[in-house]
Amino acid sequence: MAHGDFYFTINATFYHFTEKWGEQAIIDYWRAMGSQYLRPLGARFQAGGPASIAGYWSEYFAGEPGGEVVVSQPDADSVLIDVQVCPAIRWLKESKDAATHPPAHPMYCQHCLHVNQAMIEPFGYSFELTGGGGSCQQKFTRTPNPSQESVQ
Amino acid sequence: MIGVQDFIRYYDWTFEYIRRQSGEEAVEQYWAESIAFNSQNHANVLIQGNGLQGMAEYWGHTLDSEAAGFRAELKEDYYRIDMYECPSKGSLIQIDQEEYHDYCQHCMGWIKPIMDQAGFVIDHEHNHHGQCWWEMRAVNQAGEDSEPPIRDAGDVRLRENWQQAQHDRWLGSRSVDPKNGV
Repeated sequence: MAHGDFYFTINATFYHFTEKWGEQAIIDYWRAMGSQYLRPLGARFQAGGPASIAGYWSEYFAGEPGGEVVVSQPDADSVLIDVQVCPAIRWLKESKDAATHPPAHPMYCQHCLHVNQAMIEPFGYSFELTGGGGSCQQKFTRTPNPSQESVQ
Repeated sequence: MIGVQDFIRYYDWTFEYIRRQSGEEAVEQYWAESIAFNSQNHANVLIQGNGLQGMAEYWGHTLDSEAAGFRAELKEDYYRIDMYECPSKGSLIQIDQEEYHDYCQHCMGWIKPIMDQAGFVIDHEHNHHGQCWWEMRAVNQAGEDSEPPIRDAGDVRLRENWQQAQHDRWLGSRSVDPKNGV
């Protein structure tokens, strides 16, 4: 199991972006991460379909310390990730050294939205996120008309 | 989500993203400000408060740590780390990723500002292949800016694969490598 102190680094990075360059800069950073760095993952999800998305996130959240997450496929075209306890927010609130660090960045939860949207939308899926602050629901849905890029 | 299990690859990519967007100085500023005194503030608090002992608390000081690929030793007047297999750089080597051109630099990038504030100087060298050594000592204990002698059989500089690739070195917290500005 990976050490959770890297959540402090992720949080510090988000603060750095907004304090130095503003809110749009961090959204641009997240979207670049999704559309550029994670492009191979998006392609993998397109090729493997919802089952591969569900498998990936189920395994991924199981590898994060302190999370309580249930991944399901409510229908043939969608994947629901029910984050009952977010491992990152829990670490930032409850870990041994939490008191010596700032609280979760006010936009912390938005990174999941922007990274995933930018990663998956070119490949014929939508991504929605509801909730936040320690628990949320995330949904990948295969869209009927994938963009031109995704079918090439 | 950006998780901790594969965070290093995102970290490496983030260095390069900042460099592309804002230049090399912005990367150094990110390490010196937000990594040192926000991300690693738990280390900062320990070192500011307890000096060498705080370093030992943060990095660990038992031989058990060798199982994690490094050895750390608290001596009377210095604290030393010999890193044999850096898990961070090692994970990038394993996936053949080098988004940023000088990943290893980030450790000096955040540790030096903390040591500067706490009144310690650093001797350090890394070989960009997951091996490095560090010695931290109080400014008033600092002698000549010469490389410390080989300490014992566990000194990483004696490892067969130490002499590979490019080495970057600092003595008395000053780079002896022209690329780092001295």
